[in-house]
Amino acid sequence: MTEVFTSVGRSIPRLEARDKVTGRTEYVHHLRLPRMLYGKIFRSAYPHARIKSVDKSAAEAIEGVFRVVTIDDIRTVIPHPYYGPAFHDQPILADGKTRFSGEPLAVVLAEDPSIAEEAAGLITVEYEEIPAVFDEVEAMTSDVLVHDELKPASTFADLKHLKGRKGTNIALDHKLLRGDPEAGFAKSDFVFEHVFRSQQVMHTPMEPFVSVADVTGDRMTLHTASQGPSFVRIEIARLLGWPENRVRVKVPFLGGGFGGKLYIKLEALVTALSLLVRRPVKISLTMEEQFFMVTRHPCTFRIKSGVNKDGKIIARTCDIAWNGGAYADIGPRVTQKAGFTSAGPYDIENVRIRSSAVYTNRPPAGALRGFGAPQTAWAYERHMDMIAEEMGLDKVEFRRQNLLRDGRPQASGTILVDAAIEKSLDKLLDIMKWNQPFDRGSGRIRRGRGIAVGFKGITSPTTSVAIVNLYADGSCGLFIGTVDMGQGSDTVMAQIAGEVLGFDPTTIKVIHSDTDVTPYDMGTLGSRSTFHMGTAVRLAAEDAKKKLAELAASVGMVPGSNQPISEIFERRYGMRAGNVIGVGSFIPEYQKPDPETGQSLKVTPFWGVGTNGAEVEVDMETCQFTVTKLVNVADIGRPLNPKLALQQLSGAGIMQYGFTTTENMIFKEGQLTNASLADYKIPGLLDMPREWINEFTDSIQHDGPFGGKGAGETTTIALSPAIGNAIADATGVQLMDLPCTAESIFQALKRAKA
Amino acid sequence: MEVAGLRGFDIVEPSSLEEAFGLLGTGDPAVRPMGGGTALMLMMKSELFKPTRLVSLRKLGEPFHGLGESADGKWVRIGALNTFSMLDHSPLMKSHFPIISRTMNTLANLRVRNVASVGGNLAHGDPHLDLPPVWMALDGEVRIVGPSGERVSAVADLYKGYYETTLEEGELITELRVPVKPDWKSSYTKVTTRAAHDWPAIGLAISVQLSGRQIQDLRIVLSAALDKPTRLTAAETVLRGRDIGEALLREAADAATEEVELETDNRGSQEYKTHLLRIYVTRALQDLVSEAAPK
Ligand SMILES: Cc1cc2nc3c(=O)[nH]c(=O)nc-3n(C[C@H](O)[C@H](O)[C@H](O)COP(=O)(O)OP(=O)(O)OC[C@H]3O[C@@H](n4cnc5c(N)ncnc54)[C@H](O)[C@@H]3O)c2cc1C
Repeated sequence: MTEVFTSVGRSIPRLEARDKVTGRTEYVHHLRLPRMLYGKIFRSAYPHARIKSVDKSAAEAIEGVFRVVTIDDIRTVIPHPYYGPAFHDQPILADGKTRFSGEPLAVVLAEDPSIAEEAAGLITVEYEEIPAVFDEVEAMTSDVLVHDELKPASTFADLKHLKGRKGTNIALDHKLLRGDPEAGFAKSDFVFEHVFRSQQVMHTPMEPFVSVADVTGDRMTLHTASQGPSFVRIEIARLLGWPENRVRVKVPFLGGGFGGKLYIKLEALVTALSLLVRRPVKISLTMEEQFFMVTRHPCTFRIKSGVNKDGKIIARTCDIAWNGGAYADIGPRVTQKAGFTSAGPYDIENVRIRSSAVYTNRPPAGALRGFGAPQTAWAYERHMDMIAEEMGLDKVEFRRQNLLRDGRPQASGTILVDAAIEKSLDKLLDIMKWNQPFDRGSGRIRRGRGIAVGFKGITSPTTSVAIVNLYADGSCGLFIGTVDMGQGSDTVMAQIAGEVLGFDPTTIKVIHSDTDVTPYDMGTLGSRSTFHMGTAVRLAAEDAKKKLAELAASVGMVPGSNQPISEIFERRYGMRAGNVIGVGSFIPEYQKPDPETGQSLKVTPFWGVGTNGAEVEVDMETCQFTVTKLVNVADIGRPLNPKLALQQLSGAGIMQYGFTTTENMIFKEGQLTNASLADYKIPGLLDMPREWINEFTDSIQHDGPFGGKGAGETTTIALSPAIGNAIADATGVQLMDLPCTAESIFQALKRAKA
Repeated sequence: MEVAGLRGFDIVEPSSLEEAFGLLGTGDPAVRPMGGGTALMLMMKSELFKPTRLVSLRKLGEPFHGLGESADGKWVRIGALNTFSMLDHSPLMKSHFPIISRTMNTLANLRVRNVASVGGNLAHGDPHLDLPPVWMALDGEVRIVGPSGERVSAVADLYKGYYETTLEEGELITELRVPVKPDWKSSYTKVTTRAAHDWPAIGLAISVQLSGRQIQDLRIVLSAALDKPTRLTAAETVLRGRDIGEALLREAADAATEEVELETDNRGSQEYKTHLLRIYVTRALQDLVSEAAPK
């Protein structure tokens, strides 16, 4: 049976496109409120130091400075000024000591932002440096403690098990055990072990972080560039000890988020400041300050596999240390979600995983497009190629032989459903023309190609609620907390509602996050919105449709007739009055994994599946290389708006391409040495592969809204190893660390020659 | 209360040199001349420089403007306030110094090229800039005016060290003069190691006077990996007067890599940059020779 759709499945243009290109779109950066003060953050100069004293006098003496604030002032309005989604570990301003260089330590408030900036430069601090720890592996056993005591938050269902501990930098140890890996290794013909590393990178949204807090009477209103307004309300209400209905969080469009703008970022700080001075307060970060807000986890991944002569993988162990920096942020979830899929999309009987979130004295790490899955795939897919290479196996066949297929249990025990892993591999090979001869070059220029397969689980259990409001003239408002940050969620949600209601989606008004008005949503993150909010929207629209039919029947009209909707309202209320309100609420099925074995019958609502292929050209003398072709194939279920979906696949791919080849936060003794976009290199147009191909498989997610599921992260997962594998194919040397650079090839070739 | 910098800063536009010298000669390092302001702006953004006063040279008239050939056709005069885009679009530059518009392709971006000035670029002293080594390889000279008179300096002599020039307080570059040498060929290689658009890991400007495969004379200037753009004189000596061939190129590359100690930074280690220098000196020379005397 082929279903016929009128709204979903079509590449309608983004609803906000015209406003955006004509400069009419609302962003928090534009917001100015009467009596508003601007805050400028003064940041710590040392990665780990006791704060002996703060001298604010020179800053305060400056004309136009309203106030200079430290943690002592914050305490007068928020007695326990610590926040965080997993641990309440992050002070609103450094409290007694600094845990990373660049940590906010004081704020200058002024009516003129340039005065605030100038004055912030005049604050002086007396520090007493203490030993620091920067490396994630070292931190696991180091005597240097970033936090004396770990205080779990227990806000989220999937993080309720976190424990309060002392004397450790390990925030969370995620464990998974299936079968008996040690016995598996003993049985295997060959055992391979490799260590891979990923570097620290950042989100770099075009719109840097910005928040405004405005306290009036007993109400706090936040205007903030946040991907998770519901969480912001919960956490701010908790910090203030207020009921949630006294906190209002409004979010217009975002200029990108990529996971950075989740949980609490500037919101707690501006809230405290506004309470202190009883005026609206705005803080806008510069592009450069973003390096000290949140980043992506560096990680060290030791992977070991037992393989039989015939290529069957018998056992695999994964030991991963995630460098979470000074504050846990959502690192424990990254550790857990990326942990349970870290053995890769393979059907392996004996698996042990230990995935640890570790504190260090670096800028905090949190969620970033892919939630850790790209760092794990860098390891498991490079490992696969290296095994195949050493055993002389065909790299595709070796994978195919071990691939997880629908109906089989994944390492967590959850049965794979609607995961088009092999299909997307086949499509990739087809586009890459894998079976045709490949010109490897000779002499100076060598060519190589590589593929990689990746998958990820989705954060669970999480809730989305949607409201469809049919007005008496027959027009429709859709109230959702999903934040449109460029991914096009407004458009797709309107398409889903339109499909159910039989409306032209472009006529539906999507009402943006305002926690006074829009219902709860867990957050716009982790590829969850299309599936979760999309389902809630579908349910809300169905509910509205049903109620409208009942209303029609109650006034003697035939449901489904072509009489205009306004007619129903007019007959019922004697004029154009009243509403029909449909509500949809969705939480997927979930079983909490066993804390010791990580086993669960339903660990994820769906699977993100993607394959990537790369062709590279390497100058064997200079070691400079060009990625000449990149192919990304994703299983995103049914694409609800194919054009937007392709833009997501492409955007995610470009981002990951930067994380693979150019982007790298370089530290020296805990000091970031390249905190500017002149020296932290994001790929430019000239760096883009000549051939850049994005495709999706012909798939359906059976329990997704109209067969759809998330698409925002899929192409990030295995892109790095595809390039790493291609470089190995061209040069014969194996890169173990990201990013892949000309110099890393040079050094590897040198080691190989030695 | 009067606190420096708080009321922002002044931009003044004197219309005579005397006025400009008066405005500049304060002894305050926070007072500086301004060409296009692009380098100043970057330094202000990273808080390396907080001006109290910027003295724009825009209205200073003739000595800073214009681009033309000398009457005898032996050199080209480039007023210090010419923007990069003006150089890029000048037919005169294209015919005498095609290397300039080739260098422009990978220099910053159009918005910067539309305002960045020849004089500001020369006076800035950042060793990563692409053009100073090129002007050096072309034997460029600058005319400098100051409160105590006028002088001429080879571009090579402008640089003392990392962001350090030989310009005295109040001195202004009014023009650049570049000799026209029809029998010379030149090239600039910007070697980037991270993204295509980046500061160079090494910059290499070479100009040669060839007769067939023989090098009559040459200049090799290395930038970016050293504290200032630097002539590789030992390598030049190896090559001068000799026929280009594989062994000679190897000898020259050895000399080049031995005479300088490159710096490690985020764009590459000393070892890797030295490796790159060896290769790119060889390639650039080979290219120049085969361009001039195709086999
Ligand atoms: C985004 C960006 C990208 C860039 N990329 C590149 C690149 O790829 N390659 C590259 O080579 N460069 C690059 N640059 C640097 C650029 O070349 C320089 O900023 C520019 O050349 C400086 O010229 P200006 O006229 O703007 O100098 P200004 O900023 O006006 O001045 C620079 C310095 O010179 C002094 N000065 C100015 N004019 C004179 C004068 N006539 N006499 C004496 N002193 C003077 C000033 O006081 C100041 O100290 C980039 C810059 C930006 C902003």
